Amino acid sequence: MSSRSGNTQEYETRDQLPGRSASPLVPETSEPETEGLVFYHMDLYGSKERFDIFPEESHGQGDRSLEDIREESALSSKKLQSTQEAGYDLGKEVEELAKMYGLDEDREKELELLGGHLVMVESKRPPTHTGKAGSQGSLYNASKSSSPVKDQSQSIKQQGFIREASQDEDQNKAGADDEAQSHARSREGLSSCGVSDERSSQAVSEEEEAADVFCSTCKIPIRAFDKLFGEHKDHEVAQLPSAVESEKEEIHKNMCRLEEQIAQMENFASHLEEIFITVEENFGRQEQNFEVHYNDAVQVLAQKYEEQVEALGEEKRKKLEALYGQLVSCGEHLDTCKELTDTTQELYLENDKADFIKAAVTMVDRLQEFLKKEVDLELSVLPDFEERVIDFSEVEQLMNSINTISAPCAPVINPQAPNAATGTSLRVCWGLFSDDTVECYQLCYKPVSDERCSEEQAEHMLKVKETYCTITNLLPNTQYEFWVSALNASGISPPSERAVYVTAPSPPAIKTKKIRSCENAALVCWESRDINPVDSYMVELSKLTDEENGDIITESIIGIPNCEVLIHLQPTQRYHISVRALNLGGSSERSEPVLIHTTGTYFCLNEDTAHPLLAILDDGFTIACDELENPECDLPIYDNSFTRCIGILGSLIPFPGKHYWEVEVEEDTEYRIGVAFENTPRHGYLGANNSSWCMRHIITPSRHKYEFLHSGMTPDIRITIPPRRIGILLDYENCKLSFFNADIAQHLYTFNSRFQHFVHPCFALETPGILRIHNGIAMPLCTAFP
Amino acid sequence: MALKQVSSNKCFEGFQKVFEHDSTELKCKMKFGIYLPPKAETGKCPVLYWLSGLTCTEQNFITKAGFHQAAAEHGLIVVAPDTSPRGCNIEGEDESWDFGTGAGFYVDATEDPWKTNYRMYSYIKDELPKLINANFPTDPERMSIFGHSMGGHGALILALKNPGKYKSVSAFAPICNPIQCQWGKKAFGGYLGSDTSKWEAYDATQLVKSCPDSHLDFLIDQGKDDQFLSAGQLLPDNFIAACTERKIPVVFRLQQGYDHSYFFIATFINDHIKHHAKYLNA
Repeated sequence: MSSRSGNTQEYETRDQLPGRSASPLVPETSEPETEGLVFYHMDLYGSKERFDIFPEESHGQGDRSLEDIREESALSSKKLQSTQEAGYDLGKEVEELAKMYGLDEDREKELELLGGHLVMVESKRPPTHTGKAGSQGSLYNASKSSSPVKDQSQSIKQQGFIREASQDEDQNKAGADDEAQSHARSREGLSSCGVSDERSSQAVSEEEEAADVFCSTCKIPIRAFDKLFGEHKDHEVAQLPSAVESEKEEIHKNMCRLEEQIAQMENFASHLEEIFITVEENFGRQEQNFEVHYNDAVQVLAQKYEEQVEALGEEKRKKLEALYGQLVSCGEHLDTCKELTDTTQELYLENDKADFIKAAVTMVDRLQEFLKKEVDLELSVLPDFEERVIDFSEVEQLMNSINTISAPCAPVINPQAPNAATGTSLRVCWGLFSDDTVECYQLCYKPVSDERCSEEQAEHMLKVKETYCTITNLLPNTQYEFWVSALNASGISPPSERAVYVTAPSPPAIKTKKIRSCENAALVCWESRDINPVDSYMVELSKLTDEENGDIITESIIGIPNCEVLIHLQPTQRYHISVRALNLGGSSERSEPVLIHTTGTYFCLNEDTAHPLLAILDDGFTIACDELENPECDLPIYDNSFTRCIGILGSLIPFPGKHYWEVEVEEDTEYRIGVAFENTPRHGYLGANNSSWCMRHIITPSRHKYEFLHSGMTPDIRITIPPRRIGILLDYENCKLSFFNADIAQHLYTFNSRFQHFVHPCFALETPGILRIHNGIAMPLCTAFP
Repeated sequence: MALKQVSSNKCFEGFQKVFEHDSTELKCKMKFGIYLPPKAETGKCPVLYWLSGLTCTEQNFITKAGFHQAAAEHGLIVVAPDTSPRGCNIEGEDESWDFGTGAGFYVDATEDPWKTNYRMYSYIKDELPKLINANFPTDPERMSIFGHSMGGHGALILALKNPGKYKSVSAFAPICNPIQCQWGKKAFGGYLGSDTSKWEAYDATQLVKSCPDSHLDFLIDQGKDDQFLSAGQLLPDNFIAACTERKIPVVFRLQQGYDHSYFFIATFINDHIKHHAKYLNA
């Protein structure tokens, strides 16, 4: 990781430079030039051990003798002078790097860059940190490692800075030499303040003359000479340009890695932002929840308090009212007593005896009557209030409800999503409307069955943590019923509605033996492997190229309702064709693909039409007949087979255009070959009716006779060479059926006929022998002008 | 070899022209008809030579056969020469319709007084093609030949005697075996002398028997009601038998109800043009 450590040093130096370069180091710079030469010799001839100890010294000794420092300064200046020279090569490198990282805007600083290489060169060496500078460097390293581009630009800026600083210092000086010197001074500053790099200094001495090789061990450029004699004798070296290349490559690699890390960190940062938001949201939700519940509780408490206080007040009022009534009646009684006393006393004062007696009698009566009345001195009400129970149960319940939860509501099961099914699995999804806490879900399913025995269909039950589940090991193209309940500590929810999902169908099987094709089309049929019907089929074709990228689907035909499709293709190509079955649940896997060549026309023989005496050999395209006696006798005759003519029909693709095939015949075999409508009479001979056209070969005692029969009529044509291989060209567009001697490209005869329907090839044997049918061959040139 | 245009008529976007020239082979002025298809204006075209029958001039074929449309479609130059030297003032040349003028029989005469002028074989084989190739936009590598009756005989012998020269050959009611029929015996006797062994060099059936393997694909149409067929002048069966034996590919079509006339030719001329076009344009 040389580049990374290099960066560290860059920062290191930058940190220190502002203070240093401007600081008065000038006095020291005047000396090195002479001293440096001395030291150079020492370096060249001296032992390298001397330098190996230096780093330890520089680490260990904070304050070093002035001499040491001077020596080092001398080294540095030497080094800088030499690297200035080497720096012009490196200048290009930096320029390239700058371009690479889009720093063209920095190009005006190109000159400055040249000066700046010093730092670049140095930064390629293992850093030797001291104290604070080192730790700072590593700190920068850690914090900035994620932005290589920035690093680069910063290093450039920094280099500019160096130069500017130097210029401040020696404003009078101009030219490259001056610059080098000024840099030397700044370097000196570095060295003297304790950031010494003995190994680089050492290398500098060796580099005095142009370095041409690179020491991989020391990571520095050296002269080839040193490889032979110097300290790098046993080191691994490389040519400088290649070393530069590999170093660049390394840097570039690291750049890439840094960019990757940036991308990662950026992703992570944006993820963190999302999490922030989520935390906020969750907090808000909880807060609201608490607020609602506590408010409820407070309200309930307040209400209870009011109720209690009101009841208490009422009681108090009643008591007081009762007491007051008692007090009033007590007062009344007292008044009556007083009045009676007064009246009695007045009576005593009556002098008139008679009046006295008279009044006394009434008075005594009245008193007696009054005293008869019992004086009620019992308290009607007690001062004590009745004991009231303060009921907190409701509040408690409310309080509890903040922490404890109720059983969840029924989840809502989703309808089947597209592409959620395979032939053996289903992905079921559901959700909750409420904010209920749910620990897990209980998913149940069973196959849907029309029959009564549905109870026998086992129900399956699964516990799921998520709101989805993929159920496997199902039957293809089958409906399943799903329902789901939510569970938590408080209990189980009612089940959801039932949702019916359906698994995807099984892949269909293409009937390879029934494929028919021509130059521009193919007719492919297949059979479903499912018991239940599927919705439709999809055919996928991929055109094969020489690169053999057979898996790239070049065309899909969808929505095919039947198990058969006519596909338009391009001539002389090869295609892989496969079929998928589709239902609501999705599509099946692909069927086994079939290979179709659109070279020539390819058909198969329709065995159902074969006369019982006609045999089809194993290759499927050779027909043979061994014996002919009584072709009409007691042979089993099938519905669709020829009964008189020992013939068979082929199954040609129902597609307009041209179709060509060939039939190999033997010279001594009598035959009829041509085309016929699918419904040509099975009891007749080919060519004898208006639904068939054929070439007939008859052997007469004198010659081979050829007839071209339609409706039993033939032109009178003589052919001098009995054809061995007959080419048949069916041209719907030009309303022609032509026969050729394919071996010599000789045109034999052409029927001109507008075929009202599609026709099929027909073949019949009239003597024992065989006919070989050749299919899927390109149309020969001779067929162009029939 | 100066050519003099006698006539020019636009026909199916091309031109039917007649030229006259002085023949070095025949030592007389000769005319020929030439149809230049529209394609000849922009490129080189193959040439199809038509040889007419007894009594004909260059006019019969170009006025009666109706070949122009097919030739225009397939881009074929069709050349129809005269059937014999004319105006040579040879005694007896105009005495009969089946010998002398109008009855050159496409042989090089060896007998006096015919041997100077009656060199139709060489004229058709060399002089005429050279003339045509020099003056018209032709592809000299692609030529074919066909003809009617005596011209059919001429086409067959030229094709058989010059393997590789013609890409294809066809004939309408050709005289297939002249050494066996009256016409042939009279003409060959007059032009070639009494040594019948010399005749065989100009007899299609004999040539088939002796010729090196021919890869030509012969198309022959023959009217079934041709009076010369029944008169034994044409003898196609002999030719077919020879071809069958020698494995030379022939398609011989006996056309029900047709006679020897140009009506018969016009009926099947398209088949023949196509037959030649197949090989010339391959």
